[in-house]
Amino acid sequence: MVHNLFDRRDFISRAATAAASFASPGLIGSAATTLALAGTGARAQEPRRGGVMNIILQPEPATLVLALNITSQNQLVAPKMYSGLLTYGFDLKPLPNLATSWDISPDGLTYTFHLAKNAKWHDGEPFTADDVIFTTRDMLPEVHARARVNFSQVASVEAPDPHTVVFRLKTPYPGFIYAFETSSAPMMPKHIYAGSDYRNNPANARPIGTGPFRFKEWQRGSIIRMERNPDYFKPGLPYLDGVNFVVIPDGAQRLIALESGQVHLASSSDIEFNDVPRLRSLPQIQVETRGYEFLAPLTWLEMNNKRKPMDDKRFRQAVMYALDREFIRDKIFYGFARVPTGPINSVVTFYDGNVKRYALDRKKSEALLDEMGLKRGPDGIRVKLELNPVPISQTWMRLVQYVKQALRQVGIDVTIKNMDQASSVASMGNHDFDMCFVTNTAFGDPAVGVARSYITSNIRKGVPFTNTCQYSNPRVDELFDAAAKSNDRSERQRLYSEVQQILVEDVPVAWLLELEYAISINRQMHDVVTTGLGVNDSFDRVYMTA
Amino acid sequence: MMAIMHRLFRHKGAAFGVGVIALVVILAAIASILYPDGPWEMVGGIFEPPFQRAHPLGTDGLGRDVLTSIVYGTRVSLLVAFVSTVVAVTVGVLVGAVSGYFGGRLDDLVMRVTELFQTIPSFVFAVVLIAIFTPNIGSIVAAISVVSWPPVARLVRGEFLAIRHREYVEAAVVLGVSTLRIIFVEILPNVVSPVVVLASLMVANAILLEAGISFLGLGDQNLMSWGYMIGEGRSTIRDAWWLSFFPGVAVVATVLALNLVGDGLNDALNPRLARRGRA
Amino acid sequence: MNGALYIGQRLGKGVVVVLAIVIVNFLLIRMAPGDPAMVMAGESGAADEVYVAQLRKAFGLDRPIPEQLGIYVSNIARLDLGYSHRMQRPVLDMIVERLPATLLLTITAYLFSLVAGITLGAIAAARAGRLSDTLITVFSLIFYATPIFWVGLMGILLFTVTLGWLPAFGMASVTAGQGGLALGLDVARHLIMPALTLGLFHMAVYARLTRASMLEVFDLDYVRTAHAKGLPRGRVVRMHVLRNAVLPVLTFAGLQAGQLIGGAIVVETVFAWPGIGRLAFDALMQRDYATLLGAFVFTSAMGVVFNLLTDLAYLALNPQITLDR
Repeated sequence: MVHNLFDRRDFISRAATAAASFASPGLIGSAATTLALAGTGARAQEPRRGGVMNIILQPEPATLVLALNITSQNQLVAPKMYSGLLTYGFDLKPLPNLATSWDISPDGLTYTFHLAKNAKWHDGEPFTADDVIFTTRDMLPEVHARARVNFSQVASVEAPDPHTVVFRLKTPYPGFIYAFETSSAPMMPKHIYAGSDYRNNPANARPIGTGPFRFKEWQRGSIIRMERNPDYFKPGLPYLDGVNFVVIPDGAQRLIALESGQVHLASSSDIEFNDVPRLRSLPQIQVETRGYEFLAPLTWLEMNNKRKPMDDKRFRQAVMYALDREFIRDKIFYGFARVPTGPINSVVTFYDGNVKRYALDRKKSEALLDEMGLKRGPDGIRVKLELNPVPISQTWMRLVQYVKQALRQVGIDVTIKNMDQASSVASMGNHDFDMCFVTNTAFGDPAVGVARSYITSNIRKGVPFTNTCQYSNPRVDELFDAAAKSNDRSERQRLYSEVQQILVEDVPVAWLLELEYAISINRQMHDVVTTGLGVNDSFDRVYMTA
Repeated sequence: MMAIMHRLFRHKGAAFGVGVIALVVILAAIASILYPDGPWEMVGGIFEPPFQRAHPLGTDGLGRDVLTSIVYGTRVSLLVAFVSTVVAVTVGVLVGAVSGYFGGRLDDLVMRVTELFQTIPSFVFAVVLIAIFTPNIGSIVAAISVVSWPPVARLVRGEFLAIRHREYVEAAVVLGVSTLRIIFVEILPNVVSPVVVLASLMVANAILLEAGISFLGLGDQNLMSWGYMIGEGRSTIRDAWWLSFFPGVAVVATVLALNLVGDGLNDALNPRLARRGRA
Repeated sequence: MNGALYIGQRLGKGVVVVLAIVIVNFLLIRMAPGDPAMVMAGESGAADEVYVAQLRKAFGLDRPIPEQLGIYVSNIARLDLGYSHRMQRPVLDMIVERLPATLLLTITAYLFSLVAGITLGAIAAARAGRLSDTLITVFSLIFYATPIFWVGLMGILLFTVTLGWLPAFGMASVTAGQGGLALGLDVARHLIMPALTLGLFHMAVYARLTRASMLEVFDLDYVRTAHAKGLPRGRVVRMHVLRNAVLPVLTFAGLQAGQLIGGAIVVETVFAWPGIGRLAFDALMQRDYATLLGAFVFTSAMGVVFNLLTDLAYLALNPQITLDR
């Protein structure tokens, strides 16, 4: 789990910053802070007010209202204007945001959040507990798919006073604390949205949140401008005068803009992986790979467990043995990934690496296939299958082609289907595929993001990103269910460890990569990535030097 | 026939063109013998530069040999270009013959339709058709055929209009010869020469269209084509120029050869139209 | 009177063609596959039936066909090219936004190809058989055989990556808020490679055509007569030959104007030029059929308009041309 792009100097300054920020009052009930408190006070430099940060945005989201649009692009843009109750550190411990402190009852059924008293909406109205109730009980469940699932666990929600919210759950659900990330549950103004048609509310043209930056203007196809919110509830913040999101459709142009200093930040898939080594060698650019701990993206080759020969565990294991995941990590993703050991990304809580290992071993792969009775024909082919493509970038298509080649070497002949991304996702949702690629996000807790891919109750034809491989194992269902409801950390660990061992033995899908999207930051910008949300956080502490 | 061939080969450009085409056809035929493992195998290190013995034209991002891919690419180019041209010429001849022979309202209607197809920007139309009918080798061939037939129809129609009223045709009509016989036996043979010239240019154009379509990512994902290679090389053009360069040279050479052959055929088959200095 | 009738005829014909294009477009839309609702649901991180159904309802795809066609045609008449649910914007808005960029590119390329092509063709004809003729002919042949996108890429390789002389991408540098002369020059610099790339193919065509056309005119009797009468050769060439030789080339060029737009889709993609071609390409990649077909209808209509304009220009240049077909 070592992030080998750590720079000692950065580590110390980051630790110092983290330590200093958590010296603020009101942390009752929250766990202790993130990084070790090494070098407290030895900050590299003092934050300065001023400056405007330019961030690459590609492609442009359709709308910026976070509750209505949680595509990955909007998760970059909108959290500068909206706030959630919590944020999360690199180790996924919850940290205060709009909620300055919180208590969880010992039985795990009652969550009490104490809200910031001075928070205001961008139109000047005060932020109160009523907004929280409106958001989580009324608005989000109607428009926000993930929130609907998260808040379906809530039996009741009340506001004993304007700055306190109490959630009572139906059953204990420790994953609930992870429901309050800004994109998962952005706080929306009741006085604007209550009783209206949320999707067509005229206020959608100028988003109103409680975040450190206010919406200023949006030139479609060109730039989104935001300016400092002078009434932001954290005093003295934000340091920046404003933030701009610059739309640059072409990959090479994005690179040029970053190199020349016209933009200060490129993230996720803005830069092709093969260009990152060059960027990293530039003195003015710093490449960061932390900041995806909350999302913890995990890519796998999905196999339709209900079709032959993929219904046989031995076939799926053979596929795992046939893939050189180190090659994929190093030569296709240029080192910006880790090889996963199983269904839970190594940065997520309750990860357990103590499982069966699948190193590249073509002999073993062929032996398993022979054992199954899938012998090589005169043309060397054992079986013919179809593979859905990932036509979103050349890096991903190279991965598709690599998998095709690797499987061919053990006699599995794979034809890449000619389809676009939308059709590919649709066919995945409809269970109409042999093999396809899925990248899923964990959202902090296995109960939230991981279980949904492997439990029988989430096999729902017609809906993508559910248990589309249709793996069904009653013991796995039991374990996930118990772990979601258990209030005891060590018990949860035990349960998740067992489920990881079972899944790794059964290989419902072939896990390929724990993605580390490179974030390229101009060194003039500081404290950009300070939490497990990375660039999807509020940027209220980012400051700029000359 | 011999005279025609003789005139063709006197034309230096055409001789060169025939040579290149012959090479392309031979490579397409023996590709599996030269490189039995196919173009998709990862045979070398990634991004190996060209001009070395093992990989004369370099390798790509997955270690695939560029020369192997170019050789296999001949198959796709020839297949697509040849089949689509045959289809387009067939359709065009039929449409043009009917329109030119019968004239009148039918001719008007057919010409309107032809004009419609010629007004729509052909590359965009082909791209839209392929996108809608899902990219695969069949839809690509069909789309190229759909946008290529109008010039043939126009040409054939023009010829038919001219020949229709010649004495020997009128005579045949008076004698009661069936329409079909007249069209196929009396008139069509005279149309062959210009159509052949046009066909060679259409094959060239089809190769360019297919390259553009594959470049945009609409090609068949399981077939190695030159346009696809150029498109693939685009994102790494700074570090691996050879990935886009050599396939492009292959396209230029093949299309140029076809154009030269077309020019040569034009001069050979229509010597009365040859002008001073047009060689 | 004849002129006005002719114009009226051509306009009427143009309208019919556009209508036919619209119907073709509608058929294409009907045949378009895909379920964008699924992708958008997936992108939001979690999907359930309610959400997917909501999205699909927003797309409104379940109405009878004749009704859809009628609505579609009347929409087009009101210049409503549909709504892109992917981008959450009316298609026409996006097209109009991009139109100036495409017009700038295609008109520049068109003019370049005409001027350069005719000039080169004239030189080649005037020095027929000599070295410059051979060079120009070979040059034209090669560019005629070269795919536009490859030329563009090689241009980028040479002028941007290797020499660093010209910018390769976009219409202007990425700086917020530039204006005036500086912006104009910046755009001009960015315009050079895309316009040249787009125009090279047609330049080659026009060069060959001009050369052939001029050689034909050289042979004509009245030119020989003028020559025999003793008019200086230069004047002969300029006054009579060029003017008469260029007309067929211009006619042909007019017909080709529509095809130039087709080349724009590829050039705008290679050079990230923010025009309609680029819009169409992005829509293509995302299978945003509403936008793709909207762009298709629009560019086809543009082609019709270009043809019409060329006809009218031809008429203006040469009024003796008979007005019946």
